[in-house]
Amino acid sequence: MGVPAASVPTVAGERPSRFKKLLRPLAFMSLPTAVLALFFLIPMGILVYFSFQYGDLTGQSGFTFTNFSDILSDPLYREIALTTFEIATIAMIAQLIVGIPLAYVLAYKAGRFELPLLLALVLADELNPMVRIYAWRMLLGREGLINEALMSIGLIDVPIDALLFNKFSVIVVLSTSYLTYTVIPIYASMKAVDAGLFEAARDMGAGWFTTFRRVLLPLIAPGIFIALLLVYVPLFTDFAAPTLVGGTTGYMLGNVVSDLVLENGNLNAGAAMSFLMLIAAALFSLVAYQLSRVKQGAK
Amino acid sequence: MPLSRRIQRALPNVLSIGLTVLVLVILFGPVLLLALFSFNDSTVISLPWEGFTTRWYSEALNDNGAMTAIGNSMFVAAIVTVASLVLGTLASWGLTRIPFRGRPLVAGVHGAVLVVPWLIIGVSGLIFFSQIEMALSLQTIILMHIVVTFPLVVAVVSAGLIRFDPSLEEAAIDMGASQAQMMRYIVLPQIAPSLAAAGIFAFAWSFNNFEISFFTGGFEQTFPVWVYGVLRHSSNLPVVNAASTVIALAQVLLVFGLWYGMRLMTKRRGGTDRDAAELVTGAVR
Repeated sequence: MGVPAASVPTVAGERPSRFKKLLRPLAFMSLPTAVLALFFLIPMGILVYFSFQYGDLTGQSGFTFTNFSDILSDPLYREIALTTFEIATIAMIAQLIVGIPLAYVLAYKAGRFELPLLLALVLADELNPMVRIYAWRMLLGREGLINEALMSIGLIDVPIDALLFNKFSVIVVLSTSYLTYTVIPIYASMKAVDAGLFEAARDMGAGWFTTFRRVLLPLIAPGIFIALLLVYVPLFTDFAAPTLVGGTTGYMLGNVVSDLVLENGNLNAGAAMSFLMLIAAALFSLVAYQLSRVKQGAK
Repeated sequence: MPLSRRIQRALPNVLSIGLTVLVLVILFGPVLLLALFSFNDSTVISLPWEGFTTRWYSEALNDNGAMTAIGNSMFVAAIVTVASLVLGTLASWGLTRIPFRGRPLVAGVHGAVLVVPWLIIGVSGLIFFSQIEMALSLQTIILMHIVVTFPLVVAVVSAGLIRFDPSLEEAAIDMGASQAQMMRYIVLPQIAPSLAAAGIFAFAWSFNNFEISFFTGGFEQTFPVWVYGVLRHSSNLPVVNAASTVIALAQVLLVFGLWYGMRLMTKRRGGTDRDAAELVTGAVR
């Protein structure tokens, strides 16, 4: 294809007509917006509609709240919700405990290793999550490598069963799956902080903890809220990790949805459970997003 | 210098290195061991080491399930990447350069897709396709992957467009360039690194996606769904090790290759590693 010869400037310099004003956004936005409407908004609408419907084998159907009342009154679901909260929260805290110092190292200490390390984090995220779960199962299982290794050096006689198929293994797998999304927003907000502030704080007699709590933490709070937004919500809905390494004690809300929809074929109950999780996710996201904005504004 | 002072000086560095190494071991150690044991000549994945073999690789090559699943995933991810780049570039231009009524709302919907959990999107897709009576297949997987992936492209490319001064575009038009010429010679070179980064992310998102493929795939399996199925119904299999190792290696090479290309592109225009780092962080900001 040749380069088109420079044409006589006709429309280019003129003020766009009303027609053009309407046409230009349409030309760019109509296709993406149509895709979003058709495969995101409409399915979400149908999901919400389904959550208020009942249908039985006789073909009767209609409007109902029972899907929600059934879920909310069931003590088993309440217990699973608590387990989910516990697992997601511990995994989130674990990631922050590792992620904040790691972001600090990346932003201020890594020097020429900064970019390769960042790339390693991206790579860790690109690795197939199922491969990672598989790898952890191989390590933690009864006949897994950790048990085998400990037994062969004589540290233990009987394999430790507590490594796999419980909350612990779910937390390990989930924490390692999302670490990239915890570290990168925090790292990004640290890059915007002037490192001279730490020296100033030290000169004024602040210890490292005071400097962290009073100087660094308020400044990187927006990044932490973004990390919460990106990581905490998906932690609540994960169901591959709990199914494959959770056993019976690591059963989470995502498993409930998956079992309701695929094992029981109860679309209405599955839709209701999804809708409740969606509301919780939306509320949490809004709060986290607003907090990240407020903090940014206060800077 | 007294010893205590020297320890005090060295401590932060030792801690930094220790933490970094620990994280790298936790993130990559398991997968490296998995790769190592794919060469172990034993039907169970455990110590002791029974000797080197490539037999699991030839078994994986002859494993119908594995090969079909990998092929399906590549097919899906390729289409999703192209479609997402086209849709995402259109939308990022519209959302950053063209003022129109309702723009914040439309931008908000693009952002909302990124925070709705994939589990819920998958369930909604399953119900939607059952209602319009479209059979679940690779096609339905592709449609749902596109809708969650192109907003990611929008996020990455918009970040690139926002950094770049629109007055250059006006200058080109003033000097007589057509819209197409302005896009080709001014805009495209500027956003090329963003497009490359967005392409890597889009491919990985689609290839690695489990939840949506699981709910909207019917009887057709992508690679993650296949591994899930194997793990659910049996214990660990050396064949899965072999297949996973190949996939992981391909992903490593892809990321490094495209990254290298992107750095060349950025450097050629006088950019630095800093810009390259910004591309990564820009996506999540």
